[in-house]
Amino acid sequence: MTAPTHDPLTLSLSVNGETHDVRVPARKLLSDVLRDDLGLTGTHVGCEHGVCGACTVLIDGRPARACLTFAAQMEGHEVTTVEATGRPDALSALQQALHEEHGLQCGFCTPGIVVTFEHYLRENPDPTAEEVRDVLSGNLCRCTGYQNIVAAVLKAAARMRGEAA
Amino acid sequence: MSGDFTEIGRALPRKEDRRLVSGRGRYLDDLAFPGALHVSFVRSPHAHARILDIDSAEAAEMPGVVGIFTGRDLDQMTTRLRLAPPIEGLQPTELTTLPIDKVRFHGDPVVCVVATDRYLAEDAAECVSVEYDQLPAVTSITEAFAPDAALVDDSLTSNMVSHQSLCVGDPAARRAEAHRVVEARFSLHRHTHVPLETRGCVADWDDGRAHLNMHIGNQVPHPLRSQLAARLGLSESQVTVMSPDVGGAFGQKIALYREELTVAALSRHLRRPVRWREDRMENLMSAAHAREYECRTRASVSETGRILGLELEIDEDFGGYCFYPANYMARVIALIMTGPYRIQDYAYEVRVALTNKCGAGPMRAPMAITSWVMEGTIDAIARDLGLDPVEVRRINALGPEDLPYKMPTGELLEDVSPRETLEIAVDVIDVAAFRARQAQARAEGRYLGLGLCTVIESTTYGSEFYKSAGIPGSGHESAWVRIEPSGAVNASVGLMGTGQGYESPLSQAVAEGLGVRSEDVTVHMGNTDIAPYGMGSRGGRGATAGGGTLYLCALKARERVLAIAASMLDLNDAGGLRMRAGQIERMIGDDWQGTGLALVDIARRAYLDPLALPEGIAPGLDFSHSYDPPAMTYSNSTHACEVEVDPQTGAITIDRYLVAEDSGTVLNPIVVRGQQQGAIAMGLSGALLEQVIYDGTGQNLSATLADYLVASPNELPKFEILHHNTPNRRTPAGIKGMAEGGVMGAIGVLANAVSDALAPRGVTIERLPLTPQSIRALLREAAPSSTKRTQP
Repeated sequence: MTAPTHDPLTLSLSVNGETHDVRVPARKLLSDVLRDDLGLTGTHVGCEHGVCGACTVLIDGRPARACLTFAAQMEGHEVTTVEATGRPDALSALQQALHEEHGLQCGFCTPGIVVTFEHYLRENPDPTAEEVRDVLSGNLCRCTGYQNIVAAVLKAAARMRGEAA
Repeated sequence: MSGDFTEIGRALPRKEDRRLVSGRGRYLDDLAFPGALHVSFVRSPHAHARILDIDSAEAAEMPGVVGIFTGRDLDQMTTRLRLAPPIEGLQPTELTTLPIDKVRFHGDPVVCVVATDRYLAEDAAECVSVEYDQLPAVTSITEAFAPDAALVDDSLTSNMVSHQSLCVGDPAARRAEAHRVVEARFSLHRHTHVPLETRGCVADWDDGRAHLNMHIGNQVPHPLRSQLAARLGLSESQVTVMSPDVGGAFGQKIALYREELTVAALSRHLRRPVRWREDRMENLMSAAHAREYECRTRASVSETGRILGLELEIDEDFGGYCFYPANYMARVIALIMTGPYRIQDYAYEVRVALTNKCGAGPMRAPMAITSWVMEGTIDAIARDLGLDPVEVRRINALGPEDLPYKMPTGELLEDVSPRETLEIAVDVIDVAAFRARQAQARAEGRYLGLGLCTVIESTTYGSEFYKSAGIPGSGHESAWVRIEPSGAVNASVGLMGTGQGYESPLSQAVAEGLGVRSEDVTVHMGNTDIAPYGMGSRGGRGATAGGGTLYLCALKARERVLAIAASMLDLNDAGGLRMRAGQIERMIGDDWQGTGLALVDIARRAYLDPLALPEGIAPGLDFSHSYDPPAMTYSNSTHACEVEVDPQTGAITIDRYLVAEDSGTVLNPIVVRGQQQGAIAMGLSGALLEQVIYDGTGQNLSATLADYLVASPNELPKFEILHHNTPNRRTPAGIKGMAEGGVMGAIGVLANAVSDALAPRGVTIERLPLTPQSIRALLREAAPSSTKRTQP
């Protein structure tokens, strides 16, 4: 068996609107580069086989699994992580609704859910509960039983449409 | 009592949320340790095999590799884990940190590779070559107990690592005089916890101070510190355990695992920080499994369905290693089996088998099968006698006139309401209307079912419980409350949350006791140098043991604060004073009126002008308190659910799910509701989908999340929760604890509902999970002629 190539590549990555130059091995996952090399630890790694959804980021505005993507594939693309969505003292409408509706417990799956629905609600401003459940099925949550997450997404959607909720 | 609370019971959203929802939580892997080494474990590909030789020469030369360590190496750096509590029928066990002579399950860690980076560590781990001599694998309870079975643990005389029995009253006489003896069987499959964040740790040995800083998401930081110190030959002063934000645990993060001890020992050995994050495959194969039981009941009943006597047999598959005494989980099942029902003639026999599978441990509701067994037995009685299952429950259920009630095992039930929750559930789900819909549906060839399941949930285990169980240990908790010179309120307790959201409810317990707003209290948890020694988070003890202790400690603080306030107001005593939201108020006439004094003034006096304090009052505002809860506290609930089973596909749809709950005094209704929903979800997910699968040779076939299925929102219903809370008269503020009963009820209610749905097809659910394949198999077995296709 031949040893894999470890020679690092120099990559220019556009993440959350900023350009970062990193030197990483070609095989290094986007999730690991975001976390280890860029310090963006909000992207969580839950399974490394694309099932749990905790590592969901936006690639060119569309949700994708950072654990199934090599950082080296991301040159020329725009990556958006949870850190671009609100801060603890300035939550987005969706984050605020998750807080109010108790839509998270351990919080490990939450960044992936936030990223997924920030995108979804932009394209689908008025979803039904069933549609929210369908989309949410791409993100595993072991704590909540999902009911409060669905309520939070619907509440955020209503607020984003300008309705009282 | 609860009507007087101002902070306890407030629906406060959680303090943790802002950081977690914005991706600013700090979980273990988010902590940076410059220069940290990474480990990867080489794991056994066999279920049972002798280790003949380990060749790591090639791996040792690979880039980035710092060291490669085997069981023999670790045996020099650590002591072995010997479990030999004085429990009759329990065989003592001992295990090394990593296996030396043989492996006992597929995924057993054999070699630890240390490298400068995780990728390089995994590269090298692939190049370590281990030569094995395969042994016959024991993969079931039946195989384990066979006379010629291979020994899983060579030091034991058999694979029956634990065997206990009890007989109270005269069940044999009840059987002889019974109208009928009804037998039922229950087989619960192997589960695993699946916290979204897998296990992991960073051990940071401080060579100058000879001190180990252990960063690890763990439910019980102090007991973990005791274990680490003992196994490393260090004093408890030389180890600090720090638990950061934790991405779920559910019982999986209690024991000191062999991998974690290895990492700690290697940090000390290499004098560098060493870190480990298990991958999902390791988590599913090798962390801890749970719940694999075979139960049989024999109920002696009267013509009306009254249970005269109950006999229970439990066999548990405990896997290959004992990280807990082997009777630890099954004992509680046997202890509380009779639960909500009036039964005095009772016998049990509990046998625990070692097998060549991953070791078992407690998983949220370690006694989860209890309610299914008891409620499934009730349904079996109703079927056998042709009675209404609701009536059989009513005739046996404990009512207010029976309390306090001593179960045949000696367990005492007080301030519970099983008959009340049953009636609420029966009323709200409207059983009569359902039966009409069910009859109509059956006429159309559709299969609707209704299940009921009443739960008695053991929540808080006091020291008296451990003593009677023969386990050395305590059920107490300790807390401190400090009011700082600025009037800021800090508090700490030995619990460690792993996602429940302790920060708000525990702040509420402190705020209630002291007389401040919950928003102004900060509770510090998870650092063993900061928190007082506590027994940590397990069972449903957080609210009663943790919240109760903090509440009592805060009452102590309030007494001092008011005494100082009285002296500042030139009053003889504090009798007419109280503090609300940090303001001192005085009863004048029938009204509470402001005094102009606030906590900050009291704090200033205590810290900056202590000579002005009344005689006998020491400077500062620093309080500590310990509290040992009753032997056991109990919550209760009744679950009701409606299902439809599609006989063509075997798919189950949950049409309605409700639960009537008695959780005692609730610290924070938002958090309690979340725990109820989450527990039910975990129970349903386990009953519908989850299953650890080993083949006949002991190969684990369920090591990805595409094989071990966890429920998505599409499988789970909307939960209706009805409250019937009665405070416990013996605990601080009437707190009872909760958060596991939902699992117990969900498993039982789903199985009972599906049995009800498929009754016309002659199918009774005796085995979980209820996957479409298993439902189809049951239908084929029950009526082979109607569904089997003719073979060409």
